[in-house]
This record gives sequence, C-alpha cells and structure tokens, in this order.
Amino acid sequence: MAGERDNHGVSRPDLRRLRRPEKAEEKFLGPLETEVMARLWKRRSATVRDIVEDLAKTRELAYTTVMTIMVRLNEKGLLERTREGKTYVYRPSHTRDEHRARLSRDLVRGLVAEFGDAALAAFSAELDTVDATHRAALRRLAQKDTRETR
Amino acid sequence: MKRADRVFTIMLGLALASSAILLALLLTLVPRVEQLVARGAEDTADVVAALVLMLALCGISLGLVTLFRQLVATAVLIRGLVAQKIELPSSVVLAASGLDLDGRVDVVADARPFSFCYWFLRPRICLSTALVERLDPDELRAVLYHERYHLRQRDPLRQIVARYFAAGLYVVPVVDELLAFHTLQKEIEADQEAVRASGDVRSLASALYKLLPDADDVSLGLLVPVSPLSVTEARIDQLVAGRPLSLALSPLSVALSGGALVAAAVLVAVKGGASVAFETLPPLYAVPGLLVGPASLLFAAAVDGGLHQLRPLTQRLFS
Repeated sequence: MAGERDNHGVSRPDLRRLRRPEKAEEKFLGPLETEVMARLWKRRSATVRDIVEDLAKTRELAYTTVMTIMVRLNEKGLLERTREGKTYVYRPSHTRDEHRARLSRDLVRGLVAEFGDAALAAFSAELDTVDATHRAALRRLAQKDTRETR
Repeated sequence: MKRADRVFTIMLGLALASSAILLALLLTLVPRVEQLVARGAEDTADVVAALVLMLALCGISLGLVTLFRQLVATAVLIRGLVAQKIELPSSVVLAASGLDLDGRVDVVADARPFSFCYWFLRPRICLSTALVERLDPDELRAVLYHERYHLRQRDPLRQIVARYFAAGLYVVPVVDELLAFHTLQKEIEADQEAVRASGDVRSLASALYKLLPDADDVSLGLLVPVSPLSVTEARIDQLVAGRPLSLALSPLSVALSGGALVAAAVLVAVKGGASVAFETLPPLYAVPGLLVGPASLLFAAAVDGGLHQLRPLTQRLFS
C-alpha cells in the first residue's frame, strides 16, 4: 500500500484514496486486508490458521497468502501479535471505531497541513449546514413511516 | 391568513411607511442642498443635509441595482435552462398528473439535483434530470406539491418585491430580517402543503433525505428571485416535530430601524434644519439635538444595513 509512515509506525492515509468508490475501510486497505480486519474485529483474536478457515467458507486462499497479509497488517500497526507456543496470535490494535477515528483525525491533520486556512474554513462551513442530529431525524422520519404504511 | 403572508404584509407596510418618511426627508433636504451648491457651506445644517441626501440616494441606487441584477440573473438563468430542456420523462408526467400543472413543468438536463419555481406573473417549475432520476414517484410528487405551492402563491414575484425593499431600505435593517424570515417560512408552508396533499410526511422526508448529500453543493450560482428546494435544519425541525419557526428579530436591527425612522421624522419636522423652531433654539442645543443627533442615527443604521446588504456580495467575491 502506498502510504507514508508516521512516528507511531501506522500508515498515514493517502488523501487521494478518498475519491475511491469503495466503502470506508477499503479506501485505505486492500480488499483482502479489509476482509481480514473485519474478521479480526469480530473475533477479537485469531491465528493465521483461524482466519484461513474462516475465509475458506467463502473463498479458497493459501495459508501463505493470508499470513503475508496479516504480517503486513502487523507492520502497518493495525494488528498486534503475541507468540503462544509455536504460533502467533493476532489482535486488532484498535477497535473499528477507534481505527476510523484515527483515520479521520489523520486525514484532518493532513488536510490542514496541506491547505491551511482553506481546510479550516471548509470544515467550519460543513458544521454550519445540516448537522448529524437533523440528518438522523430526517432519516428516521423517512424510514419510520415507510414501515408503518407497508 | 398564513403566517408567511402576515409577515409579508407587515414587511410591506413597514417598507411603504419607511419609504414615505424617507421620501419626505428627501424632498425636505433637496432645497438645503441646492442652497449649499449655490452659496457654499454656510452652516452645519447644509452639510449634514447633503450627507443625509447622499445616504438616501445610495439606498435607492442600491435597491434599483439589486433589482436589476436579479432580473438580469433570472433572464440568464432561464435562457441557460431552456437550452438544456428535454422532453418530460414519463415519471414526471405521471407524478404531475392531476396536479393542475399542465405545461408549467420543465425538466432540464443537469447533473445537480435541484428543483425550483421561477418567473413572476405566470411561474413555472423546473426540475433537473438528476433530481428526477434520484427520486421515486411518490417523492417526486411530494416535491411537485411543494413547488406547486410556490407557483400558486407567485412566490418569485413576492420575493423580488421584498428584496427590492430590503435593498433600498438599508437604513431600516429590520426589513431585511423580515425578508429572511418570510423566505424560510414560505419553505415551511410549502412543506406543510406537500405533507397535507401527499397524505403523509414520508414522501417529502424521504425526498429531502435523498437530497441531503447535495444540500450544500447545489448552488445555481445566481442571486435570482426563485424558490429553490433547499434542505435546512429549520425545515427538518418542522417536519419532525412540527416546531414552528420563531421570529427572532435582532434587538440591534430593531433599535437601529426605529432610531433611523424617528430620526428621519425629526429631520422632516425641522425641515432639515430650516424651520423657525430650529432657528430659534440656541445653536449649541439645536445643532446636536435636532440635526446631528438624528443624522447620526441614520448613519449608524445605514452602516449596519449597508454591511448587511453587502455580505452576500463579499461572500461571493471571496468564496
């Protein structure tokens, strides 16, 4: 993955990736990396073998392929690992929400560093418009009555 | 009478009364300025009269320029839209059936999802293809109900009349605040009509929710007197909780507007400093009390109102 490293050894997000059409995590991770992270966030901890077996339900992947992905995620700081006997047990370094918060924070810092006041003005303008509470209220209204009228 | 109509009537009444007072002031001051031009600055009263007259002329010019700019912008917008007009898609024909909108709806090819009501005496509704493609038939019909309300009320015409007064009467800033309230209240009443006609709130709420991602981006880039469908927090509040919009006028605007009108009335009463009453008063009291005082109030209101009027322009220039 093309990405710089910050002082904490975690990949810094590339702003150009935001334009990608994929869902949140896939903007910053490869498809297989996203799948592995999704399973680890669900299981909390797993060995490479566990993930290979988990993934085998939907697709067949070589043990070495999954191991390479998990080692890479460990190098990126997204997974931590501890040796238990002869194998490594992997755990997510952060919860999914923490990961997203971290990505968002790094993106904001990146934008402010690159664009200075223009980025701050854009954030301020965004806050002035319809806020999250109102958006959620409108969504509930649009969905609630759908169920009632069906 | 609906709330927006009441506010419009109050605004129009205030605007006409203010115009009458300021016109009387104008007519009172002209002879003083003529004296100033003919004989030079003999006393403070002539100079102050000239300044007040200049202020009044600035207000009138600003109002006329704004009106002219809006008319030109509307003409340009309409010409641009007509060029992009396409045959009505079957979904629009279906959604508009039975709404008494025959021949009054245009669909234009545009990647931005928008709808608005435009033109003055015989308004029309304009929808973009992006909006038509994004909404389902019920949502589209709810949007048409909303716009039909603006069309039946001839809101574009009301808007341009109100904007003319708000711009011209910049020494009475409360008129501008009433205009902003009237504009938003109109949107809310159009929503209420759409909900009532649709039979439930879902269709309109769902349409607005689908337009939310573009709510901040859909700008036609013109200061035109049209009624665009915009998604605002006040509208959502009203849809969700039926919370009425509160008319909160700024105390500063009310004070400055009241002060300016009283000041103008005083200046008319003392005939711009030429009345017998004024001349018999001791100069130290008469000049600050009956001329400079009211004139200062007028200037203060003019500065506040002028800045308020120029804000959209400066935002556009520096955006």
